[in-house]
Amino acid sequence: MRMDYDAPRPEIKVIHNKQMTCQKVIDEVLRGIEEEGLPYSVEQSEETNPVELAFRGAELSHLGVGIGITDNEVVLHFIKLKEDQPLFKIPTYSDESTLRAIGCNAARLVKRMPFKNLDNTELS
Amino acid sequence: MIIAGIDIGNATTETAVARVTNQENPEFLSSGIYNTSGIKGTRQNIHGIFASLKLALEKAHLTVEDVDLIRINEAAPVIGDVAMETITETIITESTMIGHNPSTPGGLGIGVGVTVEIRDIHSVEKGASIIVIIPREVDFEESSHIINVAVKNGIFINGAIVQRDDGVLINNRLDKKIPIVDEVSLIEKVPLNMRAAIEVAAPGSVVEELSNPYGIATVFDLTSDETKLVVPISRALIGNRSAVIIKTPAGDVKERKIPAGKIVIQGATKKAEINVDDGAEKIMEAIRSVAPVEDIKGEPGTNAGGMLEKVRQVMSNLTEQLPATIKIQDLLAVDTFVPQVVKGGMAEEFSMENAVGIAAMVKADRLQMNMIAEELERELGVKVEVGGVEANMAVHGALTTPGSNKPLAIIDMGAGSTDAAIINRAGEIKSIHLAGAGNMVTMLIGSELGFEDMSLAEDIKKYPLAKVESLFHIRHEDGTVQFFDKPLDPQIFARVVILTPNRMVPIPGNFSLERIKTVRREAKTKVFVVNAIRSLERVSPTGNCRDIEFVTLVGGSALDFEIPQLVTHALSQYSIVAGRANIRGVEGPRNAVATGLVLAYGEGE
Repeated sequence: MRMDYDAPRPEIKVIHNKQMTCQKVIDEVLRGIEEEGLPYSVEQSEETNPVELAFRGAELSHLGVGIGITDNEVVLHFIKLKEDQPLFKIPTYSDESTLRAIGCNAARLVKRMPFKNLDNTELS
Repeated sequence: MIIAGIDIGNATTETAVARVTNQENPEFLSSGIYNTSGIKGTRQNIHGIFASLKLALEKAHLTVEDVDLIRINEAAPVIGDVAMETITETIITESTMIGHNPSTPGGLGIGVGVTVEIRDIHSVEKGASIIVIIPREVDFEESSHIINVAVKNGIFINGAIVQRDDGVLINNRLDKKIPIVDEVSLIEKVPLNMRAAIEVAAPGSVVEELSNPYGIATVFDLTSDETKLVVPISRALIGNRSAVIIKTPAGDVKERKIPAGKIVIQGATKKAEINVDDGAEKIMEAIRSVAPVEDIKGEPGTNAGGMLEKVRQVMSNLTEQLPATIKIQDLLAVDTFVPQVVKGGMAEEFSMENAVGIAAMVKADRLQMNMIAEELERELGVKVEVGGVEANMAVHGALTTPGSNKPLAIIDMGAGSTDAAIINRAGEIKSIHLAGAGNMVTMLIGSELGFEDMSLAEDIKKYPLAKVESLFHIRHEDGTVQFFDKPLDPQIFARVVILTPNRMVPIPGNFSLERIKTVRREAKTKVFVVNAIRSLERVSPTGNCRDIEFVTLVGGSALDFEIPQLVTHALSQYSIVAGRANIRGVEGPRNAVATGLVLAYGEGE
C-alpha cells in the first residue's frame, strides 16, 4: 500500500546568493540540467559561502544533489559527502560550456552517467 | 653446496636457490623473480639475472659469495611476434551518414526532408519538407524560435541536425516535436539541399527504420539495385539510438574486400596455399594438413606478404641473422573484428570490420646463452653452466607439483609462445613450441576495443573489471557489491574500471562491462584454449589429446585469474585432468624451469 502521496518531487536544488548580479550564470547551469532531462528548482539565500549554499541545496533536494552559486564560485554538492568537501567547484567566470557542464554533471550524478570534464577543476 | 637455478623467460627471470648435499634431494631455500631485461637470449639479460638472483639470496640470508654454482637454462630459441590485418573496409563516397550516439538526442521518431541551414530558412518555399542544420553559432533559444516561426508559416520542419549538445533544450522549446540529432562535430561537412532522413529512438530502444535496408529504401524510394548499396550503411547504424542518412545524387557506399593475399605454407613433404580472406579457420586447417611446417611465406606485394615479412624482419634484427634464413615455423591465425573509421562518415563513425590476427613463431639458431654464462661468470666470480633444454627442465620442475606423476604433459603459457612437453613413464621427453600466447591476447583485446594504448589492453587482460555505481560503491563483474569509506574519484564515477592492484583504471569509451568481459574471455579462449589442444595433439604419442591423462599449466599466463579455468574446462571435455601447477607445493605455476635446473643437477644431467 502506498502511504506517502505527498512525497516531494525528485529535483535538483539550485540555490544562489541573493545579491547575484549575473543571471546568465544561473541560466547556463540550469540548461545543463535541462539538457540531461532532470527537474530542478531554484531558491535564493543571504548566504555568501557557495559550498554552504550547495550543501543546503543537497539537504533540501529529494535527490540529495545541490548546486550553490555566488559571484565567485559554482559548487556541486552531494548529500552523502562531507559538508566541506563538495564534488566539483568552478569559478563563476568560467565559460558557457563549463557552466553548462557542471549542470549536466549534477544530473549525471543522479543518472549515474560518467561526468563531463570540467577542465581539471575537479577537487581531489 | 648452494646452487642457484636461473630461468630467463620472455617476460621474467626466475631464480631458485637450493642447498644440495651428496645424493640427497636438494633443500630449496628461496626463490626470486624479476622482469627480464632486454630480449631473451641477449647480453642485456644480465641486469635482470642479477636482480632476480639478489632477491632470492636476500630471502635466504645469503650473498653471492655463498653460491657455488649457477645453472641457467638452454633457452628454447623461439621468438614470437604478432600482427593484425583488416580484410574488409567500408567506404562511403558522395552519400553520407551520421550514426552516432549522443547521450541525449532530442525528440522522437523519423523525419525526412531536404537539408537547409537554419539561417537560410527564409528562402524556403511554403509547404516544403526540410531538415534544419544548426551550427554552433546559433544557440538553442534562437534556433527553437526560428523553427517555431517557420512551422507557423507552413514549412514542414521534420528534423534537425545540431552541432552543440543542445538537442533536448531545443526540443523542449518547440511547439511541434521533431527528431533531433545533436553533438555532430563536423556539421560543416553535412551537404545542403540534399534529401535526408533522421531517426531518433525512444530511451532504451534503437533505431529501426534506418538500420534496415528496406527501411532506407522506403524513405528514399530506392530501386532494388540501390538497396543493395545501402546495406553497409544500415549495418553500421545497427544498435544506435539516433541516426542520419543524407542521400547525394551520385551516392554510393560499398563494403570493399581488401585483397589480403595468399600465404604459402611449406611443409616437410607437402605445400599448401591459402587466401587470408578465407579466415582463420581455413588457415589453421591448412597448417594442420601440412605439419610439420618448415616455413611460411606471404604473397609479395599483398598485405599478407607484408605482414609476414615484417615478422621476419623483426626476428632477423633480434637474432642478427639474415631475413632469408629466418623460418617461420608456426602460425596462429584468429578471426576478429576491428573498429575502423568509415571513410566518408560525418561524425567519425566506426564500422566493425573483419580482421585476421596472426602470431608467428620463429626458431632461431641457438641463442647466445653460452655468451651470457661466460659474462656472468666473469662478473660474479661464481661457476656458471648452461643447464639442460628448457622444456625438459620445466617438466622436472612441474613434477614437483603435489598430486602429479609420470606420464605428465605440461603446457607452458608464456607471453610470446605456448610450449608443451610430455614425459612418459620411461622418462623420455618430447616437446614443441607454438605461436600465440599472452601478447596475442593483448593484441586481440586492444584491437577489438579500438585502443591504441596497449598497456590498457594488457591491464584488461590481467585484472577483473567492476562498474562504479555510486561515489561510494562498485559492483564487481560477478555481481557482488563493495563499499568504500571515502568517496571515489569523480573521474571514475559511473564508469567501467579495471581493478589493478594499485588503483581503479577507468576504461575510456562507451563499452559496457559485459562487452569488455566477453571480448576478454573470447580473446583468451581463441588463443590459449586453441593452443592447449593444438599443442597436446602434437606431443601426444598417438596424435590424439585424449590419450594424455595429466596436464599441468605453468608459465606467467597460468597465473591469470581465468585462463587456467578456461583451459581446465575445455580439456575436461577430452577427459584430461588439467590444472595450474604448484611447483614444490609453494610456487604456484612459477619457477618450474628454475626448480628443474636445480633438480637436474642432482640427477647428474
